[in-house]
Amino acid sequence: MSKIPIIIEREFFSRVKKKSFIITTLLMPLMLIALIVIPVYIAQKTDKECTVFVLDENDYFINKFENTEKVRFEYPSGEIESLKKRCIDGECDAVLHILSGSQSNQANLYYHEEPPLSLEGRVTDQMDKILFDRTLMDTFHIDLKKYEIIKQTSQSSVAAVQIDADGQERASMMILNRIVGLICGVLIYFFVFMYANQVMRSSIEEKANRIVEIIISSVKPFEFMMGKIIGVALVGILQFAMQIALAVVLLFGVQFLLPAIFSETTVAGPDVASATAAAETMQIQNGSLFSDISAFYSFPFTTLIICFFIYFLFGYLIYASLFAGLGSATDNETDSNQFVLPVSLPLILTIMIISMEASAQSTLVKWLSIIPFTSPIAMLYRIPSGVPLWELLLSIALLVGTFILCVWLSAKIYRTGLLMYGKKVTWKELWRWVRM
Amino acid sequence: MNIIEIKDVTKKFSNQLALDGLTLDIPEGRIFGLLGPNGAGKTTLIRILTHITMPDSGQVFFHGHPLEAKDVENIGYLPEERGLYKKMKVSEQVVYLARLRGLSKQEATRRLKEWFQRFGIDSWWNRRVEELSKGMQQKIQFIATVVHQPDFLIFDEPFSGFDPVNAETLKQEILRLKEQGATVILSTHNMASVEEICDEIALVNHGRVILNGEINEVRRRFRQHLYRITVEGDIDTSNLPSDFQVVKKEKNDNETALNIQILNGTPSNLLLQHLIEQQHTITAFHEILPSMNEVFIKAVGN
Repeated sequence: MSKIPIIIEREFFSRVKKKSFIITTLLMPLMLIALIVIPVYIAQKTDKECTVFVLDENDYFINKFENTEKVRFEYPSGEIESLKKRCIDGECDAVLHILSGSQSNQANLYYHEEPPLSLEGRVTDQMDKILFDRTLMDTFHIDLKKYEIIKQTSQSSVAAVQIDADGQERASMMILNRIVGLICGVLIYFFVFMYANQVMRSSIEEKANRIVEIIISSVKPFEFMMGKIIGVALVGILQFAMQIALAVVLLFGVQFLLPAIFSETTVAGPDVASATAAAETMQIQNGSLFSDISAFYSFPFTTLIICFFIYFLFGYLIYASLFAGLGSATDNETDSNQFVLPVSLPLILTIMIISMEASAQSTLVKWLSIIPFTSPIAMLYRIPSGVPLWELLLSIALLVGTFILCVWLSAKIYRTGLLMYGKKVTWKELWRWVRM
Repeated sequence: MNIIEIKDVTKKFSNQLALDGLTLDIPEGRIFGLLGPNGAGKTTLIRILTHITMPDSGQVFFHGHPLEAKDVENIGYLPEERGLYKKMKVSEQVVYLARLRGLSKQEATRRLKEWFQRFGIDSWWNRRVEELSKGMQQKIQFIATVVHQPDFLIFDEPFSGFDPVNAETLKQEILRLKEQGATVILSTHNMASVEEICDEIALVNHGRVILNGEINEVRRRFRQHLYRITVEGDIDTSNLPSDFQVVKKEKNDNETALNIQILNGTPSNLLLQHLIEQQHTITAFHEILPSMNEVFIKAVGN
């Protein structure tokens, strides 16, 4: 009987029972939620009502600013220096000083105590509007109201519709596709490395512990390696599932407990969004992008989820088997670094390329999504924008083939490496072990 | 009946020949000392016997059939470089190792508990390995080696790291295993323990067996015709025949002991005869065989 299940059992439970497993499983979703919620919360907390003193050298802007819930404009008389002093004394939150003559579209915003991040944007928006109105008037002799009518009647609406091979049409959101693709790619990268690295660390540890000789006198090195790889894979799947579940629960919980945050964000959307990057994500979710429900629903969810699983699994299996082999060749983690970097380079480069490449369907990305070492990331990036079935199948076939090859290679290295001590191994030597 | 037959086994590593056509039989039910200088090929041989490494050529027979992977369930191996998972509980650890040797979980637990009681270490059952001292860990490893009741055991430097009391316990355990019918290979540099418990030895050097056989027979092969004779009173050695060379003379109140080397194949009885003729009362007479230490040095030195 194969002893792989016994090894899987140990590898799985020894990890799952560890405190660090429970902590990371809980902490990751908490941090993720915190990353979304806290900036929004802070942005809102600090978003109090502000008073701005306006001093316009040309007197053009006087009484033209619109008072809103968040900003109140006042136009006191006096020199700029005296206004600044009043600002320091706390009479206002900021002083807007609009420069004279040809610089009349330029201004300085003086403050003593830091005002909410959004203030600068709000002031700029209003100034822009007033200046725009003036230009319309001066050049085209129309006012803002007329302009709005012109703008509305001359606005077009272009919907992106993707036609797949069967002639089926689906509305698509190119930006959404790319963001989802990128997130999936980065997640794959992250998880593949995290778990493959665990396999390597544990190989090194067993070697350093000297338990390895006892074990491989009972089981074949190949069984030992596979048991370890599968055991860690199960840990990964469990942890991932738990984190997703927890994140979903937390997200609903937060939405339920703090509805104010979310509703207000939607209303105050543009302003808050400009404040922080995280808040920007909120705007995307609550505002413009998801509003196109049809695009959301026609999104290839099933394909994405299935492929995410396949590419995560085989991406992990490839790198875990390589890392197991390399880990067995070294006695300590410092020595293993020389092998890790070249092996992980394809993944790192893919992340860099897809985040810079203009199109999800460029020739370069296409190739990367077929080449096995880079495909787990590149293909996931492409899937939301649609991938021909044959390319997907070719890519998966190559991936599985590479996995078998990597296991075969690593098993050879593993067998020799496990009992090799005190020697710094080179690539050349590894190759000799493979041919042995 | 031989439990192991090694036939012309060769193993080459990248730049050195570890085993060079080694042939050796290990008889059943005996304690077999595997000796040899560092780098002689002992560890490689042991790893071939435990199915960790495959020979490049040659064959190993176990109970008469070619050694195969399944046989490891009938082999117990305590490597020289041995360790345990530090973070694991002692019980989980030993049960895991026993299961890898083919025992079921229940059977492993039952037998291990018995062993822990025998050694009086029940209280360690739920402790973590890292909490135990090195000697304690060695005991655990010993138990893990024998728990599946293999009939063939290999101990590589089993006494290293043990204090004299524990070393003695271990020695008794090894002898007990032999009584129960197990065959034991003992690989060690500790020649005193070899003399004490081994029935047979093989001396390996440069990947070959240079000497093997029953331990006293091997020692006899290296005899230097050295005898020790004890007589009452004093003795005048000046008139001994020239074939009898006195190597050492120890005299106390009423006895004299002589170490005498007999040259040119002269029978030892002539010495006795001569002394009796001289009216000496002989109280003891025996041959001094070389120690295993001397045999080792002499054999390897040549």
